[in-house]
Amino acid sequence: MNSKESCRSELRIAIRQLSDRCLYTASKWAAEQLIGIEQDPANFTPSNTRFQWGSSSIRRRFRTNEITSTPIAGVSYVSTPVMEEDDAVDGDFYLLAKSYFDCREYRRAAHVLRDQTGKKSVFLRCYALYLAGEKRKEEEVIELEGPLGKTDSVNRELVSLERELSTLRKNGSIDPFGLYLYGLVLKEKGSENVARTVLVESVNSYPWNWNAWSELQSLCTTIDTLNSLNLNNHWMKDFFLASAYQEIRMHSESLAKYEYLQGTFGYSNYIQAQIAKAQYSLREFQQVETIFEELLRNDPYRVEDMDMYSNVLYANECSSALSYLAHRVFMTDKYRPESCCIIGNYYSLKGQHEKSVMYFRRALKLNKNYLSAWTLMGHEYIEMKNTPAAVDAYRRAIDINQCDYRAWYGLGQAYEMMGMPFYALHYFRKSVFLQPNDSRLWISMAHCYETDQLRMLEEAIKCYRRAANCNDREAIALHQLAKLHYELGRPEEAAFYYKKDLERMEAEEREGPNMVEALLYLATYYKTQKRFEEAEVYCTRLLDFTGPEKETAKSLLRGMRTTQSGFPSMDVEHFSP
Amino acid sequence: MDLENFVFKKVTEEIEARKRASERVSFHLHAPKALFDLVEDIEAPADPKSKHSDKVGETSPYVHPPNYALKEFEPNSGIFLRTNWQIQGYLQEQADALEKNGSSFSLNAFELILRQLHKLAPELHRVHFLRYLNSLCHDDYFAALENLHRYFDYSAGTEGIDFVPPASGSNSFGRYEIALLFLGMMHFQFGHPKQALEVLTEAVRVSQQLSNDTCLAYTLAAICNLLSEIGVSNTAGILGSSFSPLTSIGISLSVQQQLFVLLRGSLKRAESLKLKRLVASNHLAMAKFDLTHVQRPLVSFGPKASMKLRTCPTNVCKELRLSSHLISEFGFESSTMTTDGAFSTAWLKNLQKPLGSAILSQENGSGSNENAFQFCVQPSSIPGSVLQLIGSSYLLRATAWELYGSAPLARINALVYATCFTDASSSSDAALAYVKLIQHLAVFRGYKEAFAALKIAEEKFLSVSKSRILILKLQLLHERALHRGHLKLAQQVCDELGVLASSVTGVDMELKTEASLRHARTLLAANQYSEAAAVAHSLFCMCYKFNLQVENATVLLLLAEVHKRSGNAVLGLPYALASLSFCQSFNLDLLKASATLTLAELWLSLGSNHAKRALSLIQGALPMILGHGGLELRARAYIAEAKCYLSDPSFSVSENSEVVLDPLSQASVELQVLEYHELAAETFYLMATVFHKLGQLEEREEAANSFKKHMMALKNPLDDEDPLFNVL
Repeated sequence: MNSKESCRSELRIAIRQLSDRCLYTASKWAAEQLIGIEQDPANFTPSNTRFQWGSSSIRRRFRTNEITSTPIAGVSYVSTPVMEEDDAVDGDFYLLAKSYFDCREYRRAAHVLRDQTGKKSVFLRCYALYLAGEKRKEEEVIELEGPLGKTDSVNRELVSLERELSTLRKNGSIDPFGLYLYGLVLKEKGSENVARTVLVESVNSYPWNWNAWSELQSLCTTIDTLNSLNLNNHWMKDFFLASAYQEIRMHSESLAKYEYLQGTFGYSNYIQAQIAKAQYSLREFQQVETIFEELLRNDPYRVEDMDMYSNVLYANECSSALSYLAHRVFMTDKYRPESCCIIGNYYSLKGQHEKSVMYFRRALKLNKNYLSAWTLMGHEYIEMKNTPAAVDAYRRAIDINQCDYRAWYGLGQAYEMMGMPFYALHYFRKSVFLQPNDSRLWISMAHCYETDQLRMLEEAIKCYRRAANCNDREAIALHQLAKLHYELGRPEEAAFYYKKDLERMEAEEREGPNMVEALLYLATYYKTQKRFEEAEVYCTRLLDFTGPEKETAKSLLRGMRTTQSGFPSMDVEHFSP
Repeated sequence: MDLENFVFKKVTEEIEARKRASERVSFHLHAPKALFDLVEDIEAPADPKSKHSDKVGETSPYVHPPNYALKEFEPNSGIFLRTNWQIQGYLQEQADALEKNGSSFSLNAFELILRQLHKLAPELHRVHFLRYLNSLCHDDYFAALENLHRYFDYSAGTEGIDFVPPASGSNSFGRYEIALLFLGMMHFQFGHPKQALEVLTEAVRVSQQLSNDTCLAYTLAAICNLLSEIGVSNTAGILGSSFSPLTSIGISLSVQQQLFVLLRGSLKRAESLKLKRLVASNHLAMAKFDLTHVQRPLVSFGPKASMKLRTCPTNVCKELRLSSHLISEFGFESSTMTTDGAFSTAWLKNLQKPLGSAILSQENGSGSNENAFQFCVQPSSIPGSVLQLIGSSYLLRATAWELYGSAPLARINALVYATCFTDASSSSDAALAYVKLIQHLAVFRGYKEAFAALKIAEEKFLSVSKSRILILKLQLLHERALHRGHLKLAQQVCDELGVLASSVTGVDMELKTEASLRHARTLLAANQYSEAAAVAHSLFCMCYKFNLQVENATVLLLLAEVHKRSGNAVLGLPYALASLSFCQSFNLDLLKASATLTLAELWLSLGSNHAKRALSLIQGALPMILGHGGLELRARAYIAEAKCYLSDPSFSVSENSEVVLDPLSQASVELQVLEYHELAAETFYLMATVFHKLGQLEEREEAANSFKKHMMALKNPLDDEDPLFNVL
């Protein structure tokens, strides 16, 4: 397990370097992955309690041919010693600055490092300045927020930082961390293309900085830009690609990548959560639930990604589990957007929509760009029949992320509720464009076409057909297709779909009015087609049901018997109901 | 069609202007109540303040000079409100500019500004509307659609008419029906009539449900425009029974009848709601309808009223007059404000008016604009949208007189428009007025002057890309090429017109008919009679299908002409007669005179024994032709008259030479102005024969020489300097 070992040692060094530079998130991420690397049985120590993972129902593949994608050893090892030398030179100042930084006194930290020229010091100074500017910006936003929403407050350090970093880059005296910061500054200033190249440079020379990868990922919104990146083959690239695929809705590709990564990082909570996210997008709720149960067992105070778990619990109407989760995150950290979202879901499931809206709003106050909170708030407003507010909330979600099919779908629903089906179609079209494999969206769109105002039945049929081709869990599409074809006077098609629906109901062992309807239709259809044997089969099945259909079936049977026993067919016409 | 386009645009503009005007007052309300708490500390006091500003807007519409009105806001409205006003003012100005000369706006530059603005003020949703307008002007369908939806999602349509108290108590529901109205008009603009009709139907339904009568009135007007402009041959299955009481009792109406019913309903509704502008534009639409449609009884059972199947010019005049009442009503209304939102804020528009037009008049630098300038600066100045509407009534008058055949009246009305309303109107409308004037010049003064004027117009409307000016140029070139016998050039120009007619964004029926009409004429000039007849015939079928009756008269006349030229006078006669009857029922007097002339020519070509009849026909039509006809028509009449005399066996040239020579020389002068070589040659030929009979050899030689000259010019069309060759 050489490569696992190498990953481990790489990460160990990286964590130290990252936390040395106060890149906390990146070092946290790296540390999580370090712990996530599967132990060799040889090194296995009993104290490692995480091994309970082995019993989980989560699919994991232990591949032996792993990490074939780390061939260029030079890339991964070269940069480490370069930065060590700085320590000796400006060690004391650096230590002071870092302490200040840790106490969030950014300007003070930057001041301490004002005359230091080591790459590490330069980076920390710039980074501190950047954060100081960000902090000031946030404050200004709150202080100066006008009636028109955002003020024109910007990070005032950006200009000087850009100047300094670009000269450094020209001189060639910039390290990968500096490049990362430069990329960040460029992105903020809106020059995305340059930012992308700079970030690629950064991750190519120092691949363990997850912050840089995530910035890069946020700049890759299409598959084309993603493919155009010139990235070195490092195992970190797989993490990046997996997350980027997820963002551009290539869920199965993303899932495959994560499953491949699980071969090495078998215990990574991060990967588990990401797999859950992908499964959630693929609507495999059962699996998501299992994954999250496992995650919570291992990491009970985790808040990240838990809002998704709450969504799943909400969708499955597991109120007790949701209540447990809500209480737990409430105790852990109630002022995190995710917590507020979970609590909002909890109240929504309990039917207390006003309270739920309040929590979603709190989540949004904490993070104005919290996409799912906007969408969920929209859902709440729909429940409360406050469509204008719902429309507004959904629209905000869309303006944050154009690809949020739920928000588009919500908008469509809202407009349909207002009796504007034609207007709603635009939104449904958008949502099915983004999520073409979701039968519910197609069914809603078909329903929209079917409304009394539009009656565009041909289009509705097309939509239902799409829905039937997707995984239509509620089995609405087939039934509707049969009905619509019947209405449009196409008995063959109607029979075809009724039969399919029937087969499906048999397979899923469901019974109900739909079953009766299908049987009755098929019986009469085959009778008019003079295929009496089939008709008889359906009639006899109908006899098992109670109600008026039973009587109809009986009389149908009687009619057929008399025909077959040689009576002139005219009589049958007379007697059959 | 020009006209229809134009009037439609008027209505769009009006509605947009109206919306825009009213939206300006209280866009703090953009953020729904639910979101107020997010920004509660600052946002909360904004609400009552904006209410206050509404009131100010309502009570002091025009009487206050703008500065005073603004001052009134300042003390109690804080800094941000003032900046809001400034931004709003800016947006307003830009929207006006976009409407006026849309395509000359740079799409990207303006988009950039708007994006910046949006970044700075995310809660200012009007920006999205401007973005919508911008992309609409530049035919960017997807961006327009996206921005329209975004704007209404955010604003919930409530700012549009939020001072109109809803009829049924408080209404927390947004005014999304306005979104439908706009979406419908957008589809219309992009040439998707089916979708437009669907959306507008939905708008009608939703407005009815929410009892938003104002929106309903506007929607109905929009549907009327849609139906009248676009050649929809069948609305079955789209327009539901909710539109007219007649369809609900099971009587199927033709599109035209449906349109009539709708127009009437829409007018009534607008009148009862006191929507002055809408009333005026509905009157215009009605006038337009009356202009080209014969009124028939809607219901065909019951005692048949004796109907004369003619259009009613009096109705047209009445409607035009009624629509012009707007301007006087506007004066009266200025003190007592109705709930009509547009009026309460229209004063703001005036605020920018003097400034805007001052800049304009500087730019134009032409004397004719002085008047318009003063007109606008008058103390109780009239809102731009009203001016536009009045202006459009003048344009419609010009068109009406053009059809009825009074050249001077048509010219006067176009002139009035060009001098008084160009500042208030959009550049495409102004271009239309210029087009009319130049066409007039070409017909009455020849091509030289027309092309000189065209040059000026081209410079003036340089920015308008898809302009009528280009079409006009092609028309003039074609006409001239036909006259001079440049058949190749004519064909080329004709093909270009055809390309314009089959534009991507919806087919302009008017242009399409024009193109194929010219195609037929080119073929005729090339003596390809059967082809010309075939083209004309298919054109007739199309016109018949889409109910273009006025064009039908022209096409029939052309068919008569084709048969006349091919020597089948007997076949031509029924066409000429049919054309005559069309002209009669649509009161197309000038066209009727020209049809009479053709009829006379047909009779004449049947033999000299019909010369008397032909002569009396011509003399009957002469007053009209001489009074209102163009150069070509007059010349033709003169020649025909002379020919009648000459072919009359009882007529002796030597006794009465003046009777023949005078019209011929008059015709020769006019034809030389027109450079119409073929007819000119014929004239000189006739003159030469007359002189020969009279024994005046010198004059005969002169005429013969002129004849030769014109024949040569006709034979080698490419020899001379043609300054217009390079224009293509």
